[in-house]
Amino acid sequence: MRCFRFLLVLFAVFVSGAAAYAASMSASASADAKHLHVQLVVPETVLSAGEPADIGLYFKLESGWHVYWKNAGDSGEPPHVRWTLPDGITAGEFQYPAPKRLPLGPLMDFGYEDEVLFPLTLSVAKTVKPGPAPLHAKVDWLVCREVCIPGKAELEVAATVGDHAGKTAASGPDVEIYKRLLGRLPEPSPQGAKAVFEPTATGFRLAFLAGQRETSAQFFPADQNILSNPTPQTVSPMATGLVLDLKKDPNMTANPAQLRGVLELSGGRAYEIAAVPGSVPAAAPPTTAGDAFRAAGLAFLGGMILNLMPCVFPVLFIKGLSLVQASGEAQHKQRGHGLVYTAGIVVSFWVLVGALLGLRAAGATLGWGFQFQSPIFLGLMAGLLFFLGLSLAGQFEIGLTLTSAGGSLAAKQGYAGSFFTGVLAVIVATPCTAPFMGAAVGFALAQSAAVTFAIFTALALGLAAPYLLLTFQPAWTKLLPRPGAWMEVLKQATAVPIFATVIWLAWVLAQTRGAESVAVLLTVFLLLAIAGWIMGRWPARRIPSVAAGLVIVFTIAVCVYGLNVFAVPVVAGNAATSASGVGGARWEPWSQAAVDKYRAAGRPVFVDFTASWCLSCQVNERVALRTPEVDAAFRKANVALLKADWTERDDAISQALTALGRSGVPAYVLYSSNSATGSGDAPVLLPEALTPGIVIDALSKLPAATSASAGNL
Amino acid sequence: MVWNPQLSRLSCLLASFLVSVAVLPATAQDLRVGAAAPDFTATDSNGKSESLDQFHGKYVVLEWHNQGCPYTRKHYVSGNMQSLQKEWTAKGVVWLTVISSAPGEQGYVTATEENSYLSKMHAAPTAVLMDSNGKVGHLYSAKTTPQMVVIDTAGKVIYDGAIDDRPTPDVEDIKGAKNYLNEALSASMAGKPVPTPYTRPYGCSVKYAD
Repeated sequence: MRCFRFLLVLFAVFVSGAAAYAASMSASASADAKHLHVQLVVPETVLSAGEPADIGLYFKLESGWHVYWKNAGDSGEPPHVRWTLPDGITAGEFQYPAPKRLPLGPLMDFGYEDEVLFPLTLSVAKTVKPGPAPLHAKVDWLVCREVCIPGKAELEVAATVGDHAGKTAASGPDVEIYKRLLGRLPEPSPQGAKAVFEPTATGFRLAFLAGQRETSAQFFPADQNILSNPTPQTVSPMATGLVLDLKKDPNMTANPAQLRGVLELSGGRAYEIAAVPGSVPAAAPPTTAGDAFRAAGLAFLGGMILNLMPCVFPVLFIKGLSLVQASGEAQHKQRGHGLVYTAGIVVSFWVLVGALLGLRAAGATLGWGFQFQSPIFLGLMAGLLFFLGLSLAGQFEIGLTLTSAGGSLAAKQGYAGSFFTGVLAVIVATPCTAPFMGAAVGFALAQSAAVTFAIFTALALGLAAPYLLLTFQPAWTKLLPRPGAWMEVLKQATAVPIFATVIWLAWVLAQTRGAESVAVLLTVFLLLAIAGWIMGRWPARRIPSVAAGLVIVFTIAVCVYGLNVFAVPVVAGNAATSASGVGGARWEPWSQAAVDKYRAAGRPVFVDFTASWCLSCQVNERVALRTPEVDAAFRKANVALLKADWTERDDAISQALTALGRSGVPAYVLYSSNSATGSGDAPVLLPEALTPGIVIDALSKLPAATSASAGNL
Repeated sequence: MVWNPQLSRLSCLLASFLVSVAVLPATAQDLRVGAAAPDFTATDSNGKSESLDQFHGKYVVLEWHNQGCPYTRKHYVSGNMQSLQKEWTAKGVVWLTVISSAPGEQGYVTATEENSYLSKMHAAPTAVLMDSNGKVGHLYSAKTTPQMVVIDTAGKVIYDGAIDDRPTPDVEDIKGAKNYLNEALSASMAGKPVPTPYTRPYGCSVKYAD
């Protein structure tokens, strides 16, 4: 495939010039060149002296290819045009629609996929005499996918200058293109809106205040060499707008007098702004404090309910067991365990949030649950749980082997165990956190760091609360049975949910990294089993303990090395095929271009943001999305079905989730078609727990115009 | 107390997870004009190891290269790049052409392929660095081919950016273009500050490994 692409480039390099010139010889209004169709769009070919006329340059691109915005970003060039026009007619500047971010490895470009119209205005002097007025344009452009191909064409439209009486109602394909795409131009900054910026140590804080709260935004700088383009922009919502943290180009010496560019807000609203230096309000003004408190309250409740989610079950078994054991102990000791367990949960949430925010600041586009996108994390996690399972099942007792050798205080060891159980609870709970409280987590991560940490602390306390409450109410623990021989049975039974979790993790790994990764994982399990055997056979002896420790260290190395080297990503295409199996409806891989394409073609679009490691996603797909009745409803409403698979890191999907105010999967979005409602309306976000009824109900609320066109396909 | 002690032993394992997760995505460094040029060691197309350090005291030009890129071709088909290479290496400047395309990506070549290209094009760099792991490219935040970096005799970056001020793939645009590389080297050798130390490079994106 790559070889083919390479040949294609070489071929294109050699022939593109020739092809472009061939196209230019006919000098018609449009030309087909490599990977695109370019057209001079003139809705009204009869011009009037003294009146401006709207025309435009239109590109229709092959899937995956793009042309560039006026600031192309880190590489690339916008299209250029040189006009040859009759005397008295002059062309104004191109207007550029709001672009898209086009990530390319460590680089970030700005441009357009699918199709784009660059409108401009011709001014026709009053003195121009009626008669033929040929509009001639020499156009050149750069069209890129991973590779770039320059092209050029000469285009000509035979317009005439007539009088007003000769005008007819405009129609035809040019008018259609104009009508469809003109709406994508950024609007002038709204009346009364304020855009100010102030420099920070690493860049700028840009405030846009137009009266209402905004939660997502993207700033496209009109000037080059001002911002570090690939660095994600952090949004802090404000009661009357938002604040964006931007990283500057490290080579910029003097601060700009203005920050000019396009600010795109949620729902595709885009404004031309020119921010002036000024003081930017603090990110967490008193008005959002209420929101933060509400979010923290919800997070606390959410954390409590999280205990009931399938992710956390295995850990609950362990915790419940230790509660039974501890019921004979002194009350202050039990409370100590509860507090240490809570601390374990709180600290690990802090570590996770800190890592996520830190990586984001360093330029990565990540969302909640990001650690499950790393195969090495999955492998180590599976190994850890397998080892724990072996121990619970009775193969060995690490405690006896290692701690007796060390001779530490049992109580101290017990507290460390409680802390670790808290850590484990958080790690396995992460894939459930986002599904369960997607909006809250999305909100939290969009706040200032302090608010983010406060909300996650509330979530952590909620998760710990039930157990903590029990340790503080010893009267309730009296209801629990007395410790005894049955505990050994319970302990062994606890290995079952642990091993079930191991199976799930192995499945996730196999989904994304193929059979080789499973071979690595099984090798890791074998080595761990050997380590466990050594510890079980010669308990509490120094040399075997050291040997077992070495085997474990070696196992970690095998895991990290093996998964790095042998586990190759499974090609994204399989997302589509695996998704289309049940129910018969055709699920295609998601891209923003596909969403736009189907909506423009008059079809509503349903997007399933999912990941293999997200259990709720799997459940929703099986109980709701892939059922026959939902399938039939999708077909009846002529909905295009797209699946955005976030199992592995995907910046485009992360960005799309952010734009929806979410930070993780699942997310279910239903867009109506453009033809039904015009392009600017917001999509409908469905709840994170789906039933067939919810989906069918949402489909029935689609605007009526879409069902009229359903017969076409 | 049976498993709580066990768990404590495993907490260090867990710490290693978090660390491994935290270090996974590598982030590009920022190159700053005026700062010391970061040192590197890379293998050239003749299998020789080249480091920046060994050229200390000399001017060094880094040229990001990709044979198939139309913008690079503009400067090679016209002979412009080769004459720049000859002109400046004759004046004692070290010219290192860098190929940062990863294997399987467009622009990746083997050393043999590169050497035959050099002789066919009569190119005259001091050496061509086979940077297929993108190490040098990331170190210098190279974005496009061509992209030029000039390092002075004190080991400082004095220019980073485009080769000239005509961002097109057309050979005709070389004539009359303002060549930033010539400007930077001439000014610095004359003891003057570089008039334009930083520009946005133009060309094809560097094809790093994903």
